[in-house]
Amino acid sequence: MEAFLGGLAILIDPYVMLMVLLGTVLGIFVGALPGISGSTTIALLLPMTIAMGPIPAICFLGAIYCAANFGGSITAIMVNAPGDPSASATALEGYKMAEKGQAGLALGMSAISSAIGGIFSIVVLIFAAPLLARAAYSFGPPEYFALALFGLSMCAAIGGDSAVKNLIAAALGLLIATVGMDLTTGIERFAFGIYELSDGIGFVPVLIGLFAVGEMLDQAVRRLGKAEIIHLDAARVPGWAEFRKCNRSIWIGSGIGTFIGALPALGATTAALIGYNETRRWSKHKHEFGKGSIEGVAGPEAANNAAVGGSMVPTLALGIPGSATTAIILAALIVQGVRPGPHLFNEQPTLLYAVFASMLAANLFYLVMGLSMAKLFARISLIPPAILWPAVFVLSIIGAYGPNQSMGDVYVMLAAGVVGFLFRRTGFSPAPLIMGLVLGGMVEETLKQSLIIFGDDVTGFLGRPIALVLFVVTLAGLLWPAVARLLRVARARSASA
Amino acid sequence: MVTHAGVGGGTDITARMMMVQAPGVFRQEFTVVNRTAGSGAQALQYLASKPADGHTIILVTQTHLLTQLRNPNLPQFADLIPVARATADPQLVLVRRDSPFRTPADLVNAGKERSLRFGGTHVGGVDHVTIFAFGRAAGIQRPTLVPFRGGGEIVINLVGGNIDTAVVNPGEAEAQLRAGELRPLISLADTRLAAFRDVPTAKELGIDVTGYTLRGFCVLKGTPEDRVTRLERGLIEAMSGPIYKSYLENTGQAPDSVAGREAWGAQLAQFNRDGREALQALGLLRG
Repeated sequence: MEAFLGGLAILIDPYVMLMVLLGTVLGIFVGALPGISGSTTIALLLPMTIAMGPIPAICFLGAIYCAANFGGSITAIMVNAPGDPSASATALEGYKMAEKGQAGLALGMSAISSAIGGIFSIVVLIFAAPLLARAAYSFGPPEYFALALFGLSMCAAIGGDSAVKNLIAAALGLLIATVGMDLTTGIERFAFGIYELSDGIGFVPVLIGLFAVGEMLDQAVRRLGKAEIIHLDAARVPGWAEFRKCNRSIWIGSGIGTFIGALPALGATTAALIGYNETRRWSKHKHEFGKGSIEGVAGPEAANNAAVGGSMVPTLALGIPGSATTAIILAALIVQGVRPGPHLFNEQPTLLYAVFASMLAANLFYLVMGLSMAKLFARISLIPPAILWPAVFVLSIIGAYGPNQSMGDVYVMLAAGVVGFLFRRTGFSPAPLIMGLVLGGMVEETLKQSLIIFGDDVTGFLGRPIALVLFVVTLAGLLWPAVARLLRVARARSASA
Repeated sequence: MVTHAGVGGGTDITARMMMVQAPGVFRQEFTVVNRTAGSGAQALQYLASKPADGHTIILVTQTHLLTQLRNPNLPQFADLIPVARATADPQLVLVRRDSPFRTPADLVNAGKERSLRFGGTHVGGVDHVTIFAFGRAAGIQRPTLVPFRGGGEIVINLVGGNIDTAVVNPGEAEAQLRAGELRPLISLADTRLAAFRDVPTAKELGIDVTGYTLRGFCVLKGTPEDRVTRLERGLIEAMSGPIYKSYLENTGQAPDSVAGREAWGAQLAQFNRDGREALQALGLLRG
């Protein structure tokens, strides 16, 4: 308790507070720009933080991390270009809301659910980090395989016109995921001798292309036909009624995000996608999904921000980073002479609580900023498309080139843009494709790892209780609609008899 | 300065830490160019596209050597001049706390009866070469490689009991070693490590193999000799400064990491030979 108060006390230090504030503003900004992610920013700023001393440095970087995840949703909602890969699920519903003239609602709800998700995960981190960290050890390849399969099992249900179209899109995603060096054979697949392809096709260029460039092409074609509708209540921010509606989604997202974030091999993007699936599954307004559901913004946003706190669990408690960003934060800690691990909780609790306190503060900061600026950001949708979309296009190219400084990624992005355009014209949705891309690689890789571990014996899965439970849940989810139909038929029959 | 690592990767951080003090030594600005594609292939291409004047330096790891072996049309090892070593991080053979392997002999004996499951990076990667060389030198059955995405995953699966053993840098398993969840059995360093005084080296046990994670600088063949000498001296001076020293110390890497072109070149040549043999035996080398 004393240590906790000591941690909170650092927030009174104006220098630390200034760093947190600066980190939050910077985080929102870079998060919103496609291609400059929080992890890139933190990596570039790492050498600068060496001179700051451990607490301000970690608070600064932690604040960027928290805020960047929220910032990604701004561009996802306004121009359908996820500023950060983890915001791609947000774009699915958020941009549809903006099109309906509800940009302010979507942005406001994103800020609220992000902050709740973020704070929830930090509270969990404070009380249960060492406990949750132990769970990481019981997650080996078989368990990850079962989890990824669970995530994939929903892909027929989300997105486009029909289940068949969704499955086709998901299969395309799976195919893209197989490109590149195969971990378990060391052989390159579908690389055609092109070095840019031998590392696989990255999420970022595919996401930017599918969403932003696809939308731009679609707008250009639609514009030939008719004039754009005028946005009526773009500036309205959510009130109590909207919050009540999303309450359940936010808690589902927070729980899922924290748990998935805490697993070292999974990050905010997977958390947001599974959060989106589950939000939809448990929603009372399923029909709104795909047409701009506010719950579909709240769920994934809560999940991807909860994953931030979650991913700090293995980073701090095991010294094993849970995401690209925490890998760099871990490097920052180590450079400062802080050695993460189970002992950190006993040896340097004040530092630890200072980190938690600053992350809490960062979440509150961006909540206030996000809500107060939602009206301002929402005006982006009032910019004439002829000016807005070329600007988005330029940003897309920079965003695709940026992370790896590779023209190959730009070509991938442009190709994905054409796919995204064709998808929109033909009633396909990018959502199942992204799920296939993100989870497909993992399904294949973890299955092969499991089989190597089991000595090519499939029955090895029977000895893994966690994996078995996940398989059963997956199967139940798949079979439930059929069972429900049978029950209905049976009931109708007994009623008529 | 071209590297195959993305911004924020371990190798990228090594380059940036070195560069903090290099401009002062050379009176010249340094920039990092990240060419990430093809496990070093693109970085090597970038190097080859620049004149051999010493103004483009490549940060080489063992990965580059394996990529070169597998891609004969890239600049080969013989086309590079080693300049200076930046890090030489020795590896340890680890087992989990309750593993039946109490001594190095337990491990080797078990390995003669069945193929041990080693955790490592991808098939045909640096870890695979080291594990292959270890297996052959120890006279055990060819180890089964369970490939993972990185050191963190290897450590988790080792603690979780999904693999028998793994070859890991001490820094990657710091927390687990300190908590006693993992036990070091054999050190793959040349001599016993200061931090692990009672862990015998493989060489002491009669297993003629070493394992290091190497990073260092090279330039293109044809660079004038006086410039190579100047680079060697300057880079070593830059890496002898307090910032680079504390980086090595804080990341648990060997303080004697920094070395000149002779030691660095010999080590690269050795790995090049091991790598060629391993890739050939594993059927991953074309031609």
